Amino acid sequence: MGAPAPEKSQTNASSMQRVKVYRLNEDGKWDDQGTGHVTIDYLERSEDLGLFVYDEEDNETILLHRVSSDDIYRKQEDSIISWRDPEYATELALSFQEPSGCSYIWDHICNVQRNMHFSTLNSETFQSTNSELKELPAVELTTLPLILKTIVDSSISDQIRIAELLSSNQEFFRKLMGLFRVCEDLENVDDLRTIFKIVKGIILLNSPPLLERIFKEEFIVDIIGALEYDPEVTCVQHHRKFLKDHVVFKEAIPIKDPIALEKIHQTYRVGYLKDVVLARVLDDATCATINSIIHANNAFVIAMLKDDSTFIQELFARLKSSATSQESKKNLVHFLYEFCSVSKSLQMVQQLRLFRDLMNEGIFDIVSDVLQSQDKKLVLTGTDILLLFMNQDPNLLRSYVVRQEGIALLGLLVKGMVTDFGESMHCQFLEILRILLDSSTLTGPQRDTIIDIFFEKHLGQLFEVITASCPSDNIADASSKSIGPGQDVRFQHGTKPEILSNICELLCFCVLHHPYRIKGNFLVNNAIEKILLLTRRAERYLVVCAVRFVRTVLSRNDEHMMNYFVRNNILKPIIDAFVANGNRYNLLNSAVLELFEFIRKENLKLLLKHLVDSFWGQLVKFEHLASIHSLKVKYEQCVDNGGTDAAAVVDLRRRIDERAVEREEEERYFNEDSDEEDAASASVSREPKGHQQPILSNGVASNHPQSSRRSLVDYEDDEDDEDYKPPPRKQKEASEEDEGILESLRLKRKLPSKDKEPEVAKKQKLTKNSKSKESVFAALCSTLSQAVLPSKKSAINIHKDGHSVEGDDHTVEGRMSSSDDNKEDRQSDSRSSSDDSNIGGAEDKHEEKDTSASRSFSDCLHAKSDNIQLSGDECPLVPPKSSPEMAVNGS
Amino acid sequence: MSDLDRQIEQLKRCEPLKESEVKALCLKAIEILVEESNVQRVDAPVTICGDIHGQFYDMKELFKVGGDCPKTNYLFLGDFVDRGFYSVETFLLLLALKVRYPDRITLIRGNHESRQITQVYGFYDECLRKYGSVNVWRYCTDIFDYLSLSALIENKIFSVHGGLSPAITTLDQIRTIDRKQEVPHDGAMCDLLWSDPEDIVDGWGLSPRGAGFLFGGSVVSSFNHTNNIDYICRAHQLVMEGYKWMFNNQIVTVWSAPNYCYRCGNVAAILELDGNLNKQFRVFEAAPQDSRGAPAKKPAPDYFL
Repeated sequence: MGAPAPEKSQTNASSMQRVKVYRLNEDGKWDDQGTGHVTIDYLERSEDLGLFVYDEEDNETILLHRVSSDDIYRKQEDSIISWRDPEYATELALSFQEPSGCSYIWDHICNVQRNMHFSTLNSETFQSTNSELKELPAVELTTLPLILKTIVDSSISDQIRIAELLSSNQEFFRKLMGLFRVCEDLENVDDLRTIFKIVKGIILLNSPPLLERIFKEEFIVDIIGALEYDPEVTCVQHHRKFLKDHVVFKEAIPIKDPIALEKIHQTYRVGYLKDVVLARVLDDATCATINSIIHANNAFVIAMLKDDSTFIQELFARLKSSATSQESKKNLVHFLYEFCSVSKSLQMVQQLRLFRDLMNEGIFDIVSDVLQSQDKKLVLTGTDILLLFMNQDPNLLRSYVVRQEGIALLGLLVKGMVTDFGESMHCQFLEILRILLDSSTLTGPQRDTIIDIFFEKHLGQLFEVITASCPSDNIADASSKSIGPGQDVRFQHGTKPEILSNICELLCFCVLHHPYRIKGNFLVNNAIEKILLLTRRAERYLVVCAVRFVRTVLSRNDEHMMNYFVRNNILKPIIDAFVANGNRYNLLNSAVLELFEFIRKENLKLLLKHLVDSFWGQLVKFEHLASIHSLKVKYEQCVDNGGTDAAAVVDLRRRIDERAVEREEEERYFNEDSDEEDAASASVSREPKGHQQPILSNGVASNHPQSSRRSLVDYEDDEDDEDYKPPPRKQKEASEEDEGILESLRLKRKLPSKDKEPEVAKKQKLTKNSKSKESVFAALCSTLSQAVLPSKKSAINIHKDGHSVEGDDHTVEGRMSSSDDNKEDRQSDSRSSSDDSNIGGAEDKHEEKDTSASRSFSDCLHAKSDNIQLSGDECPLVPPKSSPEMAVNGS
Repeated sequence: MSDLDRQIEQLKRCEPLKESEVKALCLKAIEILVEESNVQRVDAPVTICGDIHGQFYDMKELFKVGGDCPKTNYLFLGDFVDRGFYSVETFLLLLALKVRYPDRITLIRGNHESRQITQVYGFYDECLRKYGSVNVWRYCTDIFDYLSLSALIENKIFSVHGGLSPAITTLDQIRTIDRKQEVPHDGAMCDLLWSDPEDIVDGWGLSPRGAGFLFGGSVVSSFNHTNNIDYICRAHQLVMEGYKWMFNNQIVTVWSAPNYCYRCGNVAAILELDGNLNKQFRVFEAAPQDSRGAPAKKPAPDYFL
């Protein structure tokens, strides 16, 4: 069928009504009867309604059709209505120019039919086809198609009305479910499928009171039953059977309150409905409604149980009692985990209070017990409980661990980390330890205590695991020349390589977070040498771990440390590993070269001299590599310059001077840029680093010469100014106190005003940058990804916007944009972010129809805190509760 | 049939692996990936694919169009995860293929292969939803750190997820990056994964994404000249036609997620290079709706609350 002439959409009535009329001829082909405008009107001298199509040229009647009460009409795609016409005795079809016109007429036809039904069923006439729906059809087998049509094919306003009618109608669901059971008994598949569609349609009306009603105990099983008859799913569904036969409700402690019990069962079934039964069907909005029902149920149940002091007391009494059987203890622990986990549905303050109460009841004692269990799965459940606490407030566990009765728990965590859990993942231990030791969240009196305990009691243990798992000296000498994958020098001693890698990661973390302890804890007892034994392992990634540890230590840029390195020939195993690796260009090769680059660019003269003096014989065959060559050149420059100390001092001074200049430039830039931001530019970074990146407003950036854009290079007289200094490991705060490091770590997470305090003004600048149609669209796109399933309406909108973007430039993801058209001031709080998602190309439509999407976006932003700038579709933002590995890996 | 082959078959049905299987797979993958270079050498013939973004069924369309691995040699330019509904299955299938056929598939890192980004754009939540814990996310993000940063096809075509960096003028400079880390917020590694080519920019410009740079035609010319390469192949930006040349055929964007986010309405493309580096773009559309199975999730059969 040909579509009507593609005349671009003016959504006025005439284009909405513009149709082509087709008629099926005897050859089975569609004859074009002409193009005209369709209306529904009363037939002459009759109370019946008909479809009229008048020719657009001469106003002749092309078609006159009495709307039939029979189910003869079909809507095909979005723009065709066809039927077998009794008067013409053939198939007729209307092909609409606009889908909206098609649905308009379709709704009309449905209304007319409905009224005809009502008038015959209830002897009640309706005033006009446009009148609001007053009553639902009676629920009978014969009316099922009509009910379906009423629910599925009605306009938005009618849908709201239908939801109201359904909610207030006490009998509807009882009757519908009665019919369902009858149909199922009779194996009446056709009607069962109609009931499926009705139930699905009702759920997608997305009316909270309606959903509440069908989720009630009385209906939910039958509702799920009805949803087993999806005509589009070929294999038979057995949801009720699964729920009845396989799902077990476990009661660790009997819950007596019947309302709470009902809610618990309901929550499970609703969750099942959402995740399994309706997974293909639900749109975002309905999904969100169902989630909020689940959420509210959870909050209700938890609030009830937590305030039931006898319940909590009984729970803990049984957990602590030695009379409780293993099996029931296991159940109690799993219950405890679910209890803590579900408590996320509470408000933050309430949850925190609950966790404090649980701590006071002795939950950490119980977890300590659990961690000593033989049942590995149970142990991991114990760690999962701890993680829930850590993510809520790490200081709860810290305050416990520093107490006498809690000290053992820290040991158990360390032990767990080095224990082989076989197939199971057990990264929780490392995660918990990292959060415990994370200096950025450490406050108060426990601060030092916990670090003291860990370093004194457990660090040695970690070193021992490494030494016990690596080849000893003798063997190493024999094999050091041939470290490679084939050369199997595996000294497992029961410790799996991933555990060694985890240990190394934790040690790096400790160095980064507690650098002032390096000297006391890593320079004594040959700790660094022990860690470097990992270079003898056959697994290359462990060798790289060791290199990275050394690199982390060196990032402190500490004279004393470097002396130690030279005196003890610390770099030797690394050079050996590098040489043994030969010309393979792999991660080990890159990691060592990066270390050399660091030494060269930071001008660590002691080490530079040591490297070349001691190892040039080995390194010379790699001189073809630029980094190795530059190392030698730099060395020669150093030697030429004479005394290293003087040079170092000069370097240091120059560095400070240059920083000052940069700082000034930057201030000037920000001062010039806008007046209202003066206050912000006054707060200057406490420790500017090499990678100053002036933030330019749009337009300026594109014309700026490269040199002023960003100072990527060294301050000092490097022979190769183009050389790039990898930033991630860069730590210049050698002389800083611990806090300095932390501060800089935190600052590094912010983008792009990396080196600064989080100044509001700069964020404003950044948000300005991001205002463009494309980026807004992209931002919306990204929100959509958060939702489980797209809603039809937003899909259409965005699709359109996508095309508008297409006309402009084919790239949709964040593009540089002109901010000229957006002069208004942005605020950097989450509110403005949500505004952002409403400005630009998609503005109005999205504001209206995608409110849920933009809301979730702003929520998300809000949740992820203040260091997010909305630029483009995504920015490398870091949530405040960012996992600590970022500190290790990303700094 | 080996465990791995069985797992590949399972993943091809879009059924995620067990936690223990993910762990074993990741450990094997690390051993392979650690041996790769920051500029991984790739031989032609090869088929280059852009962003996938967890659109599993669309990736199956991709394999229908491009042929199965290992019969076809593949290079994926990153952004396997986030946004789509099946990041877990998508990434694990690619990773399993990598472990099974290390020489027939190359995976390089995209800006979404990052802890920070995946916590916001879906992969984190998906792992939590599908496994009930974030352990799988932790393992996968550890793998991300090992992924190579770029590829060089027959010394002639430089492939990277995002684009160029002002800190990198020669390919050799990429060598000295210790890539095993979270994607940093600035510097060469960040730029390679985040930058975009841009018509209106002469030289370098600030990126509205907040990371990486915009770079103009002159930058590309001089980079290609310096490194003696024919053109740059990258992904990272949605292009409605699936691929797009810029700057006089010196750089091409390949995008392999059709109907991006299940609603952008774009087509996708892959770039097939034969043994002589002759190019053929294969354009494909999203998988039909009915070929999508229900999201594989069974809730735990018992519950307390």
